[in-house]
Amino acid sequence: MRNWQKYIGIIIPLLVVAGLMLYPTVTGKAAARETAFTILKAIALASSLNILLGYTGYVSFGHIVFFGFGGYVGFYLLSSQGASLWIAILAGGLSSGILAFLLGKAILRLRGAYFALATIGVNEAMKAFINNFDLFGGPTGITLNFKTYLAYGGASKALEMAFFIVGGLACLAIIMSYVIRTSKFGLGLLAIRENEDAAEVMGVIAPDAKTWAYVLSAIIPGMIGVLFFFKNGNVEPHDAFPLHASIELLVMVMLGGQGTVLGPILGAFAYQGMRGYLVTSDFFKDIQLSVSGALLLIIVLFIPAGAVGWLRKRSELLRRVLA
Amino acid sequence: MKRSLFNLFALLAVLSLALAACGGAAPAPTAAPAATTAATEAPAAPTEAPAVAVEKTVTVGFTASQTGSQEVSSKRQVNGFNLWMNQVNEAGGLTLSDGTIVKFAAQSYDDESNKERVQELYTRLITEDKADFLISPYSSGLTAAAAVIAEQNGKLMITTGAADDDTYKQGYTGVFQLYTPGSLYLTSTVDMIKTLDPAAKIAIVNESDKFSTAVVGGLKPYAVAQGFEVVLEEAYASDTADFGPIINKIKDSGATVVLGGGHYPDGSTFARQLYERKIGIQFIGILVAPPDSKFSELGDAALGVTGPSQWEGKATHTEAEAKGLGIEWFGPSGADFAAAFEAAYGDKPTYHAAGGYTAGLLLQKAILNADSVDSEAVKAALDAMNIFTFYGGIKFDTSAEAHGLQIGHSMVVIQWQKNDAGELVREVVWPADVATKSPIFPITAP
Repeated sequence: MRNWQKYIGIIIPLLVVAGLMLYPTVTGKAAARETAFTILKAIALASSLNILLGYTGYVSFGHIVFFGFGGYVGFYLLSSQGASLWIAILAGGLSSGILAFLLGKAILRLRGAYFALATIGVNEAMKAFINNFDLFGGPTGITLNFKTYLAYGGASKALEMAFFIVGGLACLAIIMSYVIRTSKFGLGLLAIRENEDAAEVMGVIAPDAKTWAYVLSAIIPGMIGVLFFFKNGNVEPHDAFPLHASIELLVMVMLGGQGTVLGPILGAFAYQGMRGYLVTSDFFKDIQLSVSGALLLIIVLFIPAGAVGWLRKRSELLRRVLA
Repeated sequence: MKRSLFNLFALLAVLSLALAACGGAAPAPTAAPAATTAATEAPAAPTEAPAVAVEKTVTVGFTASQTGSQEVSSKRQVNGFNLWMNQVNEAGGLTLSDGTIVKFAAQSYDDESNKERVQELYTRLITEDKADFLISPYSSGLTAAAAVIAEQNGKLMITTGAADDDTYKQGYTGVFQLYTPGSLYLTSTVDMIKTLDPAAKIAIVNESDKFSTAVVGGLKPYAVAQGFEVVLEEAYASDTADFGPIINKIKDSGATVVLGGGHYPDGSTFARQLYERKIGIQFIGILVAPPDSKFSELGDAALGVTGPSQWEGKATHTEAEAKGLGIEWFGPSGADFAAAFEAAYGDKPTYHAAGGYTAGLLLQKAILNADSVDSEAVKAALDAMNIFTFYGGIKFDTSAEAHGLQIGHSMVVIQWQKNDAGELVREVVWPADVATKSPIFPITAP
């Protein structure tokens, strides 16, 4: 097998992201950039969740907590402590990783529905905590002074920069997902997904593996949170920890195909692309939620393995190409 | 086989939708955004050619919450704006001194009451739909996100339904607030309580969100400065449905007055449960919910409940009032606005609807004063604006610290009372000079 063919599983996802990043530049449309930002953000978040959901088989209904918590920490440093965006992004990722490590030690002992319920509880508890945490502005949240954008060449340049950073983070999430999928560590996670007890008998140290999978799945969402709040110019608790966003992420991962590298990317692309189209379509904009709900129902009913799973069943070639 | 074909069809349908979304296949806006020149070509007469009537269509862009938690108030706001736009267009538009006729078209999208797509949609409104001016979404949080995009693109945005003070203290120069700032929402209610019971003990119970927290942030120091004792401060989550524990705390605190609330769903639930528990509260002042006509659906639980209102049909501002203050009057009378709104939508206008209408009216006045639709000229006109409409005074802070903050508008306090026929009606009870009825105090237990 030629060298590049060996890496086709990562080349295709990265080409999708590259295409999304190039699209606004080629068209020169700021609106296209905003649409692409939403899709790239979803790709990064869905790919991160896939590490836990797809590879390890743990359903997290509250994964958005890392987006919110990391985002809050970084945005606080950026707006109130004068830190640069880069430092803030790193701090957001780091704080989410630490939170995941601590939470993982506690709640990853639970399995199945109990774990899923615990993740909802964690998200709601964090929202309540931030709501009462004066340093982060309590219920009013934090607002960024418009002058802050001047340090990045003005708001226009800052928002353009945020777009390229989100593209970079999406690539990072995909590479991380691919490396885990093809590593020994990833095999251990897949073994846990199939049968945790059997995996332990085979030598997988399940508690450690699960905790690290949880940590790795939390870092990028924390960074994305900082970037999103920086772009929005403000954050409030209910924007940072929306439970419905966690559920949307699950839908994206399952739509594209959980446990694959390309699946969450296709899922995020299709879901956010569809929502973006419907909400701005003259014909659908008044009934966009009903239409997207019906479409999702059709997909879940008829393609339960997700797009990648369905495609992989079609031919040997697709099985080789789609990781 | 059949199943495979169906599966393939479903997948292709979704993918094609997604590709269409990203492939620039977005539909054209319903409203023509660009300026259009009327086909009234001047005849080729060399002398004294009649003036060429140039018609310009100005696109006003905004997002509306057609779904989600802000749906009720947002729809009323949009109805108010659309009424203004239709009236102006049907009257032939605005005529500038150079003969240009300015007409208006609206372009809007559903923001689903959440911030995720607000910036995307406002960018689209500005760059794809070529909106000339912007109106804010409903609610302070959504407006804060939209303001970044408006300012970044140098577009003027008139905010209505966005009372939080904070947004106007972030260095924006093109964002203008129509509502009385949140920090002043309940101060006039405190003034009224002072005349009713100077020894009242106040419990502040509010929704834990940006707007309501800003309101009580201004309320508490004002109440203390007026000599009141604040015996309880309690915030509740936006989706609270059971106020039982909070009502217990109110009872234990010995409060005689309850002030607070948040938005419609929680405010109406809180009022109903306060009524059901009958803990002897003498005065209730709640944000947002009481001024809505739907509040009367609470029946006897609505009786006696007060709320601050940006505008009330019964105490609408008048030209005579403007003359007395020496401020220029502009626009229709409150009665004319209310009649037109009721004829168009079959419902009495609330202050949200009046806010939407006045946002258009303000834009109209600024364009007329600027004698141009150029953003810079209109901005200068807004900076210099000091007018009185049926909605009340409109004037903006022009300092660098709080540019665009509303400083000319004051609120009234309404209370649900029963008329002679025993029906629940909204009466204006404060300020005393515009009050239609005396306040019920203390609220009598039915």
